[in-house]
Amino acid sequence: MDDLWAITLWGLKTWLYLLLASIMVPAMFGFSLGVSETYMTILVKTLEWATLKMRKNTEGHALKASRSSSLIQRGNDSMEKEFEELRRSRPKQPLGGDFTFSDSFYFTRQGIESIVEDEVTQRFSSEELVSWNLLTRTNNDFHYISLKLTLVYGLGVLIRYCILAPLRITLATIGLSWLVIGTSAVGLLPNGRIKTWLSEWVHLMCYRICARGLSAAIQYHNKENRPRKGGICVANHTSPIDIVILCNDGCYAMVGQIHGGLMGVLQRAMVRSCPHVWFERAEMKDRHLVTKRLTDHVNDKTKLPILIFPEGTCVNNTSVMMFKKGSFEIGGTIYPVAIKYDLKFGDAFWNSSKYNMVSYLLRMMTSWALVCDVWYLPPMHQQEDEDAVRFANRVKSAIAHQGGLLDLQWDGGLKRAKVKESFKEEQQKQYSSMVVGDDSSNSD
Amino acid sequence: MGASQTRTEDVFQELSDKTGFSLEQIRILHRRFRQLSGDEDTISKENLEKIQALDKNPIRNQIIEAFFDKRNQNDGEVGSSREIGFQQFVKVMCHFKPPTLKMTTEDKEAMRREKLRFLFNMHDTDNDGTITLDEYRKVVEELLSKSGAIGLEAAKAIADAAMLEVASINVPHMEPHEFYEGITFEHFEQILKGLEMESRMNIRFLDVDTSTMHCGKSQ
Repeated sequence: MDDLWAITLWGLKTWLYLLLASIMVPAMFGFSLGVSETYMTILVKTLEWATLKMRKNTEGHALKASRSSSLIQRGNDSMEKEFEELRRSRPKQPLGGDFTFSDSFYFTRQGIESIVEDEVTQRFSSEELVSWNLLTRTNNDFHYISLKLTLVYGLGVLIRYCILAPLRITLATIGLSWLVIGTSAVGLLPNGRIKTWLSEWVHLMCYRICARGLSAAIQYHNKENRPRKGGICVANHTSPIDIVILCNDGCYAMVGQIHGGLMGVLQRAMVRSCPHVWFERAEMKDRHLVTKRLTDHVNDKTKLPILIFPEGTCVNNTSVMMFKKGSFEIGGTIYPVAIKYDLKFGDAFWNSSKYNMVSYLLRMMTSWALVCDVWYLPPMHQQEDEDAVRFANRVKSAIAHQGGLLDLQWDGGLKRAKVKESFKEEQQKQYSSMVVGDDSSNSD
Repeated sequence: MGASQTRTEDVFQELSDKTGFSLEQIRILHRRFRQLSGDEDTISKENLEKIQALDKNPIRNQIIEAFFDKRNQNDGEVGSSREIGFQQFVKVMCHFKPPTLKMTTEDKEAMRREKLRFLFNMHDTDNDGTITLDEYRKVVEELLSKSGAIGLEAAKAIADAAMLEVASINVPHMEPHEFYEGITFEHFEQILKGLEMESRMNIRFLDVDTSTMHCGKSQ
């Protein structure tokens, strides 16, 4: 009996080591064994089959392809035109101020329209799927269809939670610890070409292992536009995993605040092997200091390109929000990058008000996979007559256009903060000028 | 997975029959409701206050208050609730439906009165059935800029003038010592008699799913 136990244990161990080796060695050297590709094809076929099955089973008006489920048709008339119409239809009053109750109709209607639908709030919750992708978490409106589907779904749960998740967690831990150890080791070397080369290799290797740990299938387009040294790489932000995705294909210098705990250990280890730009919390408030350090880094042509996410917060990958102008004031070449995740295989958006980091990572590891496209856009420079804001908007439009995302003017910071009072006052001013204006034309 | 879905569908169907929205519209409204409430079953004022586009609106407080006003629920109650559920949310939305082609004149009249009642309730903040000068003044102040073009005095003057105007229409032979308490609902209707409201006070809901478009009254 004991012998049997010992043998099974040994068998299990060797199998585990073999598995890990077969994943890690390719990661280290950057080639692929083709296992993940086969997994993805099987996955795609299963999901297609599931969709077909669901479509067949719901009669008549089944799954609507209306991604943009807008409920109302908003009037595009300006405030003046609408008020003219409102006033035309009521009896003309002889006296004083041309102000009546009917004027509040306009604002009431605007208000209700905003409550029913607004552009901003929906960007901070996860995107809706057109059809169910066999994950429990996306099962909102879908009912029981057939036994086969439920079986496949059950099998999926088993695979994801019992086989894939532990594997991924192990890989991620190995990847991160290797990063810390590797970069610290490289940091001991004297500065020189070997150190730079080694540090790049260590970084790439660890990020590749982490990417395998998330079952990430990344497609890079236009690799000739990849960011070069002394430039600034700018991308849209959906989750912290964006960093892993981008660093799988090149080395970047990160910018950020020093945290405590595990993140702090990682940050300190990374900065030993190649220069990143980490700020203390107090330093972040001083904009001049921040700009100066970034400019110094950019001007040194031997340092790696900086990676910045100008939105400042995580957005749900259906749109690109306002780019903060700070990163565009530094000068230097901007290399825009567009990242678009495929929602079918797993939702990468980090809703930080709903999930904390750990539960988010666990969700990532129990999704099917992480499929995304990365487009490298040609480098952009600031023109002479452009100010930082216009330049930022130009870059933003380019990224939105390439990634197929909506280009919005709203500030990502609205996720947490309120709109500035000045917006409300603008509407008030416009309206009051109309009232006063009319008054002067009607007065005796 | 099975049972709870059908129950919600039944609730939606019931709401759709009661309010005249299509099933598809109710579903979309429900999704919006969940978005606003942060996946809870009720919305509080804070949830609505978070809407950024609403922040630009000068009378946003009155609009938000209107959702929680019990008078708009047509239950006969007064006062204001702290939270509302999805059914109450849809009922308030009902006030903004456009008239359908197959409506009779009485129906159109009734709809018009309902919309006027909604607006009246919005202005009558202390629930006493009349819009007093103070309440009216408050509305004028909110609509006009607090900071810039129109000062407080001017706003007051405009409100007073408008109130006088209303009084002269409704109580034409008022004695000098009489005090005009406020605008009652009947007066309100009288003032806005000529105003073609049906098309102004509507939100053009898109009927996404044409197969469920109702022909005839869906009451």
